[in-house]
Amino acid sequence: MRKSALSFIFIFIFALSLSLSYSAEKSPYKIGVNFELTGPWAEITKTLRNAMVLEVERINQRGGINGKPLELIFEDNGFEAGRAAANMTKFTKDPEVFLVVGPFEDTLQATTRAIAEREKITNIIVCPSNRVLREMKQRWAFNIAHNDIIVSEKLVDLSLARKYKKILVFHAAHPLAQTLAEYYKRFGEEKGLKVFISPETHKHTDIDMTPQLIKMKPIIEKEKIDAFYACTSGPPGPIVCKNFRALGIKIPILGTHAFGFGFIIALGGEAMEGVEFPGAKPVVFDQLDENDPAKSINIEFDKRWRERYGTPSDQIAGYGHDIIGLIEDSIKRVKGKVTRETFRDALENTKGFKGTHGLYSFGPAEHDGLSKKDLVFVRIEGGKFKRIRFPGFE
Amino acid sequence: MELLHIIPQFLISGLTFGAIYSLVALGFVTIARASQIINFAQGEFVMLGGMVTFFFIKNVHLPYLLSAFLAIGVVICLGFLLHLLVIYPLRKASLPILLLATLGASLFLSSSSALFFGTLPKALPPFSGKDLLEIGGVSLSAQSLFVLIATFFVLFLLYILSHYTHLGKAMEASSTDPLGADLCGISRHLMTFLAFGVCSGIGALAGIFITPLFYVSYHSGTLIGLKGFISAVIGGWGKYGGAILGGFILGVAESLSIAFIPAGYKDGVAFLILLLILYFRPKGILGSPFMDSRRW
Repeated sequence: MRKSALSFIFIFIFALSLSLSYSAEKSPYKIGVNFELTGPWAEITKTLRNAMVLEVERINQRGGINGKPLELIFEDNGFEAGRAAANMTKFTKDPEVFLVVGPFEDTLQATTRAIAEREKITNIIVCPSNRVLREMKQRWAFNIAHNDIIVSEKLVDLSLARKYKKILVFHAAHPLAQTLAEYYKRFGEEKGLKVFISPETHKHTDIDMTPQLIKMKPIIEKEKIDAFYACTSGPPGPIVCKNFRALGIKIPILGTHAFGFGFIIALGGEAMEGVEFPGAKPVVFDQLDENDPAKSINIEFDKRWRERYGTPSDQIAGYGHDIIGLIEDSIKRVKGKVTRETFRDALENTKGFKGTHGLYSFGPAEHDGLSKKDLVFVRIEGGKFKRIRFPGFE
Repeated sequence: MELLHIIPQFLISGLTFGAIYSLVALGFVTIARASQIINFAQGEFVMLGGMVTFFFIKNVHLPYLLSAFLAIGVVICLGFLLHLLVIYPLRKASLPILLLATLGASLFLSSSSALFFGTLPKALPPFSGKDLLEIGGVSLSAQSLFVLIATFFVLFLLYILSHYTHLGKAMEASSTDPLGADLCGISRHLMTFLAFGVCSGIGALAGIFITPLFYVSYHSGTLIGLKGFISAVIGGWGKYGGAILGGFILGVAESLSIAFIPAGYKDGVAFLILLLILYFRPKGILGSPFMDSRRW
């Protein structure tokens, strides 16, 4: 009797350990997500979250990757550097989390990048890096969006195609806008453009840029400036355009790739008509070339997005799609166990991954995935984004 | 020479801002005159005016004018609610506690607005189709003129209210002489309640007029409320004329300062003017009915 009870316990323990090891086999790949789910960017990051959830559910329905599902763990950083750092640290303490996605915004990334470097965990950031961060050559941080160099190069192409000679730059007072302005001046002057960077800047919170623009008006008239570059992102973009037109200045306005967010047109109204900028492919995906792989990916993704959320997909949703795609692609290429180290190496070796934004390739010296080829010229016309082409500049 | 050329444009821009600050300041003064409370949720009423109008136009598909009137109604109700839920229960508390309570209410209103209406900024179309006027090389948007008109219209209404109606006089009495008001049978709580309605209405009106010029987002009430408060203090805390004067001085000074110094210091100029006024004439330019003039 006692013997059988003992053997029963043994069998039970054996079965338990078996089931444990089995469940360990099936335990999900845990991904920490550290986004600005509250605060000024809440709606943007909500789109991003929805896109990531949509993609993860699709992968899990197919049986996951290597038979294991993906699991997203969301934390809200409230658009505060302190909370972003706290979330990041929390994720690094969980041994099962092998990767952290986020923050979204440029101004929060420096903190989480530093933590990622110290704790040796991959950190995927949505906003582009800027010159200062890039020159630190951090091993563990990767950026998704088009960076300042390629956007500036593309914008120089746009200026050349439009035959602008003199351009005045009015940039926001944050690091990314500053390096965008500097690169535009550098690349532009190499190609024979004359670029003036205004000493006046604006803050992210400014609701009126009229005074700064009044100061620039005499420069525009005296130097006979051909085009005005609103080097900024978010609400200041349309505000600058509105104030600029309200002063009765008629020269064309150029923008950054951040002008591709849908709410920009709603906010600027008529003042946005005729604004041209180097845009991301999802902004005008229905107007891409037939042989562009991004076109079919966007159409397919847009269909699923509409079915689920009822609205058209956009540039931001595209980033969410591509992030999960990149993660899936990298995990598949990992040989052996997926750890923080092996995943980083696999992600760094990504070559030509096809996403909604174009082709992503990373390398030891290149942690910004996209290239100049992944941008198209976009013009705002009739309240819509319209792709424009210039022979010789595509 | 170049500077002289652009000064008129700076003045126009400054006057527009002056009108906005004045309009917000008038809301502060209305409450102060009826109850001495400093209502830091005033900026939030301005934000809600624009936000609720946008909601009615875009989500309920009502015409512009109707949406604007409905929004004023909604915000006035919120003003009454603010009094009933926050100010009235604290009626026995001291003024600093009430001030903190309104500050809390302001945070509550802006966060709730983010939850209800979303966090992306929203814009309203200008009132008139052709928005740009050009007078002698100086450009002016028609909307700025509307704001200017609205400011003086509100001032006129408040003047009528406080000088020619029993209600207005009763409101004022309940703050300047509480005991006297009590003896006359004036309900001070009712007066404060009504004053909250008036000030939230003014705030909503301000929001509807200025949103087409800029945009409205859930956190845009804070700074505009602060500037309105500064205007009211500069002009003379508790005086309608002072609110208007302070608003225009602040708007024009901020705008003109940019002609000489970089724009980043614009907000600093407002606080510098406030400091100077507080050092040398604490009761404000026109004097304040709440400050004992013998002390200053």
